Amino acid sequence: MEDEQSKLLDRLFLAARATKPDTAAVEENFETRLMASIEERRSSRAIWSFWAWRLVPLFSVFVIIVGIGNIVIDPDRSSDFSALFTNSDEEYQTATLLGGG
Amino acid sequence: MDVINNGTADDRLIEDIITGNDAAFVQLVRRYKHKVLALSARFARDTDKLNDICQDVFIKVYEHLGKFRHDAPFEHWLARITIRTCYDALRRRQKEKRNVPLDELHYQLADDTNGINLAAEQARNLLELGFARLRPDERLVITLLELEEKSIREVAAMTGWSEANVKVRGFRARQKLRRILERDHGR
Repeated sequence: MEDEQSKLLDRLFLAARATKPDTAAVEENFETRLMASIEERRSSRAIWSFWAWRLVPLFSVFVIIVGIGNIVIDPDRSSDFSALFTNSDEEYQTATLLGGG
Repeated sequence: MDVINNGTADDRLIEDIITGNDAAFVQLVRRYKHKVLALSARFARDTDKLNDICQDVFIKVYEHLGKFRHDAPFEHWLARITIRTCYDALRRRQKEKRNVPLDELHYQLADDTNGINLAAEQARNLLELGFARLRPDERLVITLLELEEKSIREVAAMTGWSEANVKVRGFRARQKLRRILERDHGR
């Protein structure tokens, strides 16, 4: 039984090897389609690159303005960096949690 | 002699492509498209999928040609890219392939019990159904070994796997295919 299946498998391989798959349809004008795809990729990359470089000065100005504004609006801010991400009720919430109130 | 001539011509074309000559790239594509398509067609029978895979192959070639080290023929480098791209496509289609019903396989195998020679197309169909049950790496190895008649060493070079690994995967794939035939043929 095992031999029979092996022989059948060999016959399948032999028959499948006998002819090469027909690729004529895909081969026709393949390079034209390929170059069109490459051109499309090139132009989409060029657009991204164009806008990325154009936006760099704009973002730089924005970051500087936000930094200056931050200093001007709140000059006495805490020197503790983590205070930026926590709220003022933290101590009250901790006491409530621990005290079960 | 042909390989040497081709190699020299390829090197010249590659130099031109790197300097931005698209016409040279088109020439290179014309030279190798048949080989790439013939190999890829073992993994994708649908025309659109085949076209997509081959486009991917040549786009990778175009974008990475500067990394080609010239220490082996260009054709070998191209074959490795083709195999890698086909393998990626197989992995993407893995889920869909697992769901192929095997009823048809059983029916067609039953017709063959009288020893009638299988037509190539029928054999390809049957193998396709069996291959659908294999893992992508097993399918890749068995296709290269049995249909493309590559040696273990060649498959190892093309895939980047060790020779022992290729042997094991090839053996497992064959066993699995045999079990599939046994199960469906013996019903």
